[in-house]
Amino acid sequence: MLLSRRDAIRGLTFTFGVAATGFAGRAMAAAPALAWTPTALTPDQARLVDVVAELIIPKTDTPGAREAGVPQFVDRALADYFDKAQAERLRAGLVRMDADARAAHGDVFVALTPEQQTELLNGYDREASAVQTSGEGHFFPLLEDLVTVGYFTSEPGATVALRYDPVPGAYHGCVPLAELGRGWATR
Amino acid sequence: MANLNGRARQKNTYDAIVVGSGITGGWAAKELTQKGLKTLVLERGPMVRHLEDYPTATMDPWQAKYPQGQLPPDELNAHYAVQKRTGYTLTEYTKHFFVRDDQNPYTEESRYDWIRGYHVGGRSLTWGRQSYRHSPIDFEANARDGIGVDWPIRYEDLAPWYDHVERFIGVSGQAEGLPQLPDGQYQPPMEMNCVEKAFKAKSEVRFPERRITIGRTAHLTDPTEEQLALGRTKCQFRNMCIRGCPFGGYYSSNSGGLVAAERTGNLVIRPGSIVTSLIYDEKKGKATGVRILDATTRQEEEFYADVVFLCASAFNSAWIMMNSTSSRFPNGFGNGSDQLGRNVMDHHLGVGASGEAPEFADMYYSGRRPNGIYVPRFRNLGDAATKRSDYLRGFGYQGGASRPGWDRDLTRSGRDAAGPRGFGAARKAALSQPGPWVMGLGGFGEILPYEDNRITLNRDKTDEFGLPTLSMNVTIRENELAMRRDMQTAAAEMLEAAGFTNVRGYDGGYAPGLGIHEMGTARMGRDPKTSVLNAHNQVHECKNVYVTDGAAMTSASCVNPSLTYMALTARAADHAVKARKRGDL
Repeated sequence: MLLSRRDAIRGLTFTFGVAATGFAGRAMAAAPALAWTPTALTPDQARLVDVVAELIIPKTDTPGAREAGVPQFVDRALADYFDKAQAERLRAGLVRMDADARAAHGDVFVALTPEQQTELLNGYDREASAVQTSGEGHFFPLLEDLVTVGYFTSEPGATVALRYDPVPGAYHGCVPLAELGRGWATR
Repeated sequence: MANLNGRARQKNTYDAIVVGSGITGGWAAKELTQKGLKTLVLERGPMVRHLEDYPTATMDPWQAKYPQGQLPPDELNAHYAVQKRTGYTLTEYTKHFFVRDDQNPYTEESRYDWIRGYHVGGRSLTWGRQSYRHSPIDFEANARDGIGVDWPIRYEDLAPWYDHVERFIGVSGQAEGLPQLPDGQYQPPMEMNCVEKAFKAKSEVRFPERRITIGRTAHLTDPTEEQLALGRTKCQFRNMCIRGCPFGGYYSSNSGGLVAAERTGNLVIRPGSIVTSLIYDEKKGKATGVRILDATTRQEEEFYADVVFLCASAFNSAWIMMNSTSSRFPNGFGNGSDQLGRNVMDHHLGVGASGEAPEFADMYYSGRRPNGIYVPRFRNLGDAATKRSDYLRGFGYQGGASRPGWDRDLTRSGRDAAGPRGFGAARKAALSQPGPWVMGLGGFGEILPYEDNRITLNRDKTDEFGLPTLSMNVTIRENELAMRRDMQTAAAEMLEAAGFTNVRGYDGGYAPGLGIHEMGTARMGRDPKTSVLNAHNQVHECKNVYVTDGAAMTSASCVNPSLTYMALTARAADHAVKARKRGDL
C-alpha cells in the first residue's frame, strides 16, 4: 500500500520533470503541464494553485506540496467541501492574483519569477493579518489553510515531514524530542 | 393494530424486554440473560456489529474525503444543525454514529443541545469513557441541602455494583483514597506526561486539597481473562475511539455487554424497532409488554414480557412513558407524581483556564493517550475549610498538557491575528516540529435539579413516523453561574501556582445538553408522590417496569455519569430476576 503510493508520487514527479524539460523559458519552467485533470478549477487556475501551493509548502529535505498532491486536494475541496461563499472567495482570489501580477509585472502569476511571486504573496499575507477578524474574509488565509491541511494530512506530509504511527501500542509521557525528531501527524 | 392471541402472541413473548441497546441497555441485556431470562432487546436504529461496522476505524489521514475529515458546511447546516454544536463529535469519521437532526426534530423553547446516536450500541460507541463513582456526599446531597428529593439509596447500596461493573468493563485508574471520589477496581493507570507531573507536584504544594490524578477511563491496560475471552484486547493508544475500536480497547455495549448477552443464547436483538408505548393491563395492574413501530415496514407490533427495562436514554425513556397514556395513567406512565420529564440535569462545562509550560521544551511524548488528568471536587465537601458561601455542590476538572501540532496556526484554530503568519520553507520547518507545551483545565460542574427544567410531549409536532416529539425548556441558574466564576478562577490559580505563563481563564459559555449527560427525567425517590422510581429503579406505580438510564438520577453529582447508570442497571436487573422468581412482578 505504502510502496505503491510512493511509486505513484515518484511517477508524478517524473512527469513534471519531463514536461519541464520540454519547454524553454521561465514561464514554462515554473508552470509545467498538469499531470492531472482538475474538476472544479479551470486548467489555468489549477496551474496557478500548483505554483502557489509549492510556494507555501516548498520541497526542502522533505517533499513539497506539489509532490504531496496538494493542488488536487485544493481542487477536491473546491468541488466537494467549500460552501458557495468560500468557493467564491477562493476563485476571486485566484483572479486577483493574476490581475495583480499583470498590473505589477505585465504577465500572469505563474509566469513571474519566484521572487516576484513571493513578494505578491507577502503582500496578501500582510493584508490578511491587518483584517481585524482573524483574516477569515481574505482569500489568502483560506488558501494557505487548505494547502497546509492538504499537505500535512497527505501521506508524504504525515509520514515524511511529520511522524505518523497508526497503532502506537503504548503511551510514553516523557520522551526526549531529539529521539522523535518531528511533530506527530495526529493526536 | 395486531392484538395477538395464541401462538402468535407466544412467538412475541419473552421473559424480559430491554428498550435500548446503549450503555445501560447492554448492561440490562447482559445481566438478565446471564441470570437465565430470555430477553428481547429493542433498538430503534440499525445494527452495528463490533469490528464489522466500524467503517472508518482504521482510516489514515490521507484517506479522508474532506479536509481533516470535517464535514462540508452545507451538509452540517442541512442535516446536523444540533449535532454539530459540540464542535468535535461530528466528522466524516463519525457521522454514521449520530442522528440527522432534520429527521429527528424537537422544539427548543430554550436552547437544548440534544446529541444522540440511534443504532445498536447507542452512545456507548462514542462516549468519553471517563468512569468515576458517585460518592457518599453525592447520595446525601439533596437531603442535606433540602434540594429536590432524597436519593432512596446510599453509596453502600451501589458500591458492590460499581465493583461488578468496573471488573467487567475494565477501568484504568489510580486509587487515591479520597472520600469525595471513592476508589474502584482499577487496571494500571495511564502515565502522566512531564508537564502534567510537574503541574501536579507544584500545584499540590500550594493547594494540597486539590488532588491531581490521572483520568479513570474505561480502557483495558491489563485485560482480564474474561475480557480477553470476549475478544477484547489492550488499548493501543490510537485515540480514535469515537470511530469504534477494532481492538475492543475501550468498553462499549457492542464489544462488551451485548457480546456477553449473545453468548448465553438467551438474547434476541431487534434493530429498527421504535418502542412507542408500554402496554398496561389494568386488571393485572402491571405492564404486559410494549408496542413498537417497525422503522422499515412502518407496521405496529406488540411484544410481551414479565418485566420491561427502559434503557432508551433519559429523554427517550421519558418520551415512551409520556406517550403511554391510559385511563390509569392519563398524564403519562407512572406519572402520579407529575415529576416525569422534570428535573432535567446535565453537567455544565466549557469553563476553566489554560497556560503555557515554561519548561520541557526538549521533551515530547509518544502514543496518543485517550485520557487526561482529573482534579476531583474540592469544594463543599462537608467541612468548614471547603465550604463556599456563594454556591452549593461542586465541580471537577478534566485537563491535560500537550504540544500543539502542525495545525496550530490555522485561522479557524483561533490564531491571534498578530502579524503575518508567513509561508514557505521556514513555516514548513516550524510546523514540522511540535509547538510549545500548553496545559488546560476544564470544569465539569453539578447542576441542581429544578422542577421547571423540563421536557414535555409535543403532539402538535410529529416526526417522520407521525410520532409526537419533545419540547425542551432547560436553563442554568444563579447557583451554576456562581460556580462557573469559581471554576474559572480556581483553575487559573492552580496553573499560576505551578509556574505556568500566559495563564488565561475562560468561560466559553454553556448551553444545556452540551455535557451530553442529560438525566433526571424520571427520578428515583422514597415517596411515590414526589418521584417516579423507587430505590430499585422500579416505577412506583408499576413494579414490573424498571428505568435504569439517566432518567433515574435524583441528583447529578459532578462526575461523568455512565458508570453510575451501569451500576444502577446491574443492581436493578438483579432485583428484577429475584422478584420475578418470587412471583413479585
